[in-house]
Amino acid sequence: MVKVWDFPLRACHWALAFFVLLAWFTPSRFDSLHRFAGYTVMVLIAFRIGWGIFGTRFSRFHAIGRRLRAAPAYLYKLLRGRSGRYRGLNPAGTAMMVALLLLLAVSTITGWMSTTVRFFGVPWVEDTHGYVSDAVIVLVVIHVLGVLAMCVLQKENLIRAMITGWKRRHR
Amino acid sequence: MKALIKVSAVLAVSLFASAPAFADGFKNCTKLDKASWKPASEAEAKAKEAGYEVRRSKVEGSCYEVYGVKEGKLYELFYSPEDLSLKKTIAKN
Repeated sequence: MVKVWDFPLRACHWALAFFVLLAWFTPSRFDSLHRFAGYTVMVLIAFRIGWGIFGTRFSRFHAIGRRLRAAPAYLYKLLRGRSGRYRGLNPAGTAMMVALLLLLAVSTITGWMSTTVRFFGVPWVEDTHGYVSDAVIVLVVIHVLGVLAMCVLQKENLIRAMITGWKRRHR
Repeated sequence: MKALIKVSAVLAVSLFASAPAFADGFKNCTKLDKASWKPASEAEAKAKEAGYEVRRSKVEGSCYEVYGVKEGKLYELFYSPEDLSLKKTIAKN
């Protein structure tokens, strides 16, 4: 076995999962809880970006450009049931991470803007917040599906890996 | 793979189906048929009369929801499309 995901990364991942879902279920009616969840998500993505620069090997963004360029070909092969194994994030996972971080940034910023006098009730702000937040949930579902598919293809429990941090070695 | 598709379908449907139930605190203003509703512009006009700077209005359930700002505070005003009576005022901050 080999240690891949460090503790701050794992904590950040599960906290994001929790607070994104909390925010999804609390708009309008549970306003203060929704805001708290949104601001927490903001802090978590800021931390994740910082950790992508200063964190440990598999948390860092150093291979991001290369893996993003490899993502289309990787996904094409994946849909045919062939997966190359990566110890850290594979190219599809990298694309998902980038997409989620970007959309969450847009979602939280437009959400915060809606609480200011300047942007409250401004249609494009509220509508962007709504559509981008829907898109986040669509991506979350695809993310979970993708992880489950990789579990099957690579015969490895990736959910446990994100809890314990350990993955098996390359053959 | 079939199991995966089922899991994701259930996940997606349950996430999206459960959210609208939470969508808004207030949405029952009238039982009147939509065809005989008064125009939304009249609800906006009422909010303006009451001193709000109107940002937008939209239909929320059977209500007109008007977004207004008054003295630097944010409000959601719910009007009945039947008689334009103010049903609820929610202060947002």
